[in-house]
Amino acid sequence: MTMIFGVPAAVLYGQLLLGLINGSFYAMLSLGLAVIFGMMNIVNFAHGAQYMLGAMTAWLLLNFLGIGYWWSLLLAPLIVGASGLVIERFLLRRLYKLDHLYGMLLTFGLALMFQGIFTNAFGSSGQPYKIPPLLSGGSNLGFMFLPNYRAWVIVASLTVCLTTWYVIERTKLGAYLRAATENPMLVQTFGIRVPRMIMLTYGAGVALAALAGVLAAPIYQVGPTMGVDLIIVVFAVVVIGGMGSIMGSIVTGFMVGLIEGLTKAFYPELSSTIVFVLMAVVLLLRPAGLFGSKPEPAGAAHQEKLEIAGPNPRRQMIAFAAMAALFALAPLVVYPGFMMKAMLFALFACAFNLLAGYGKLVSFGHSMFLGTAGYVCGHAAKVWGFTPELAVLAGTAAAALLGVASGWLAIRRSGIYFAMVTLAFAQMIYFVALQAPFTGGEDGLQGVPRGHLFGVIDLADPVNLYGFVLAIFLGGFFLIMRLVGSPFGLVLKGLSDHEPRAQSLGLDTARYKLVAFTLSAALAGLAGSTKAITSQIVTLSDVHWSMSGEVLLMTFLGGVGTLFGPVVGAFVVVAMQNYLASLGQWVIVIHGAIFVLCVLAFRRGIVGELIAFAGRRTNRGGAPAHSGPGH
Amino acid sequence: MNNADYALEAKGLSREFGGFFAVRSVDFRLARGSIHAVIGPNGAGKTTLFNLLTKYLAPSAGAILHDGEDVTPLAMAQMAQRGVVRSFQISAVFSGLSVRQNLELALLRPAGIAWNLLGLVSRRPEVAERANALMHQFGLVEYADALAGNLPYGRKRVLELATTLSLEPKVLLLDEPMAGLGREDIGRITDLIRAAGKGRTLLLVEHNMKVVAELAERITVMVRGEILAEGSYQEVSSRSDVMAAYTGQTGAGAAHG
Ligand SMILES: Nc1ncnc2c1ncn2[C@@H]1O[C@H](COP(=O)(O)OP(=O)(O)O)[C@@H](O)[C@H]1O
Ligand SMILES: [Mg+2]
Repeated sequence: MTMIFGVPAAVLYGQLLLGLINGSFYAMLSLGLAVIFGMMNIVNFAHGAQYMLGAMTAWLLLNFLGIGYWWSLLLAPLIVGASGLVIERFLLRRLYKLDHLYGMLLTFGLALMFQGIFTNAFGSSGQPYKIPPLLSGGSNLGFMFLPNYRAWVIVASLTVCLTTWYVIERTKLGAYLRAATENPMLVQTFGIRVPRMIMLTYGAGVALAALAGVLAAPIYQVGPTMGVDLIIVVFAVVVIGGMGSIMGSIVTGFMVGLIEGLTKAFYPELSSTIVFVLMAVVLLLRPAGLFGSKPEPAGAAHQEKLEIAGPNPRRQMIAFAAMAALFALAPLVVYPGFMMKAMLFALFACAFNLLAGYGKLVSFGHSMFLGTAGYVCGHAAKVWGFTPELAVLAGTAAAALLGVASGWLAIRRSGIYFAMVTLAFAQMIYFVALQAPFTGGEDGLQGVPRGHLFGVIDLADPVNLYGFVLAIFLGGFFLIMRLVGSPFGLVLKGLSDHEPRAQSLGLDTARYKLVAFTLSAALAGLAGSTKAITSQIVTLSDVHWSMSGEVLLMTFLGGVGTLFGPVVGAFVVVAMQNYLASLGQWVIVIHGAIFVLCVLAFRRGIVGELIAFAGRRTNRGGAPAHSGPGH
Repeated sequence: MNNADYALEAKGLSREFGGFFAVRSVDFRLARGSIHAVIGPNGAGKTTLFNLLTKYLAPSAGAILHDGEDVTPLAMAQMAQRGVVRSFQISAVFSGLSVRQNLELALLRPAGIAWNLLGLVSRRPEVAERANALMHQFGLVEYADALAGNLPYGRKRVLELATTLSLEPKVLLLDEPMAGLGREDIGRITDLIRAAGKGRTLLLVEHNMKVVAELAERITVMVRGEILAEGSYQEVSSRSDVMAAYTGQTGAGAAHG
């Protein structure tokens, strides 16, 4: 048998072929993302779900109507693309004047909804889809066996990619498209209806995703979650290549697939994380991406402005004392387990809000800090026999370290790219947790002892445990309150408002962002560590992207950029999970729907709306126009 | 003159954007203590030159000297720390902060407390009092608690100037401070700039020739990324090539270059 650098040649060719196949899908999906982003400045988070919809549609057509592969290749993209038209017309169109993050949040909500609905209807396991007879079998190339269907996928995806490139870069239609992104008014005067063109572009981008889904159906299992992990990898591809050029997306997609294949052959342990490592290297050496990114235009603020400014420290202290009293007495009427869980998620959300609300750096990967801290704390308590306070400290320190490392890279980008980078890093941590020996893999780290606080106070006693969690929550919250009101907090708000201006005042903004990122990570870690002690188990769901989604949901629902909003949001979401647990996957659909609703109609969140309402009332009452309660 | 007699000096400064030179091998000297204006039609490269001099943009070629020292590798924040502070062509205020907070924010670093993580800004009298004084000086008292983003345009410009001056910069660069202002505001801001220029080096880009004639001791004319002429107002305005390059192309665009 021939060996290449210690790897059997057949294995190497096989992995390279697999890499090429994966690369085909990366290329098609990142191409669609680039087309949509180029035209409408929206990062289409639903792209993975729409790929799944394409595959599911093909499967449904086959199993319920007996329509086969070749017709599905045409019909599924048309059907899913049509749904894209509806989404653009009724949802996305309302967002164009807002910060691009709103588009990402809304499509994230849609992705959750699609995934939840299909899981409810068909279960979460994958279904096989038969290779069409015409393409079954394969040919022996001498050095390897090439299944016909795989050859077809590579040819088809190359054709699709190059055709799209040709249409956009070389035809009149493409010229109009490009002109419309630069100067919509001008193109309008040529008699072209720009809004309709945008709608069709989105539809086409979505159809492209669905087409990729149909092509994927006979290779991968067809199931509701097939698009999720894929889209995260594609985001990393997009960060590597940059969304500035169509050809760049295609080349990067195939290149990343091949590198992944090579890694599988030579160093399989790294194969699931290599994409994210590549992304980190690119961020380090060429932050704008290999082919240059379409720069993010300075968007509108991602926060609805409250008509008031300036926190009122006294009123904040009163509200804080009231909250402390309320939570201390709550166990008399509310199940303490619920309170503890909600308080820890509230702390997690407040930590996230420090970065997202005040620094306007919206992370899509905060689960990595919650989960990493949980694992380290659990391990320290269980294996090293640390007392709970030391274990919590260890977990928090681990999260802070991870925060420094990932933040150092992530703050090189901002806005939507920052969101994608953090999401990708969190996915890398997820894969590490999945494989690392001390996390317990799929089973989780079980039986974390509660132990004795300072070696004395027994946390097995429910009262002691409650007091411990209450103290951690209140301490963490108070710290965040002080940070927000401090000179540092003012700098943070200023630089998120207008970074060049802050620099022109002599402020080294990158360092402030890194400190904010690290503090946010550490505080998220504090919540995760304490959660490990109270729930006595740390599982993969703590590092999963859906956990990052939950903290986003809590914060935006409660009111991003308000002090108490994340607390309110966390309580609502945790209550919903408790009381609606019987609904199973429908809870995810509800989460998705809340995202969509928040973005469309409710951008201030619950607390933000209350503050705005109170502000309007005082104004009507004849008070000076700019006074109001602190936030 | 000795090198160090120039507050800022550019040597062979160039900046290209994808093959297009917005600024092409410019040699430029800003004498210490002078008020100097850069004029030129839209797209001449004035803002780019500003961005290069303040290190908001990195040059493609050439060097920048501040007080005779090479500052080419520095970042904008470090230039500001050395006392070279600029305003932006498009009014730059922190729109989500109140007027008072805008000023306080600018004052934190000079007061040495920008890295204070746990204290309350409102408990720092030195900052609060200085902010109050600035609001009085610039007529912003009635807007103290209004969000800067909600101010009328002229007031935003005043706030930006107040914020910039709060740092007591040694070298002040103002990019079209009058753009988009009404006659009343122009008068007020001209006075503020004249007062600010005392004891400072001041470089401004301005389209309003009346303002330039009134304020500037020396004028540089830029066209297509290069320096066409330099001298006093009389010298520059009497040159026919300047008139051709300048008036020929500005026309209606002059107000918003
Ligand atoms: N970031 C940029 N990318 C590409 N081109 C730029 C950029 N900034 C400026 N330019 C170009 O450089 C030229 C000079 O611009 P600018 O310095 O703003 O001129 P002025 O301030 O004199 O009106 C213009 O043609 C402009 O289009
Ligand atoms: Mg300009």
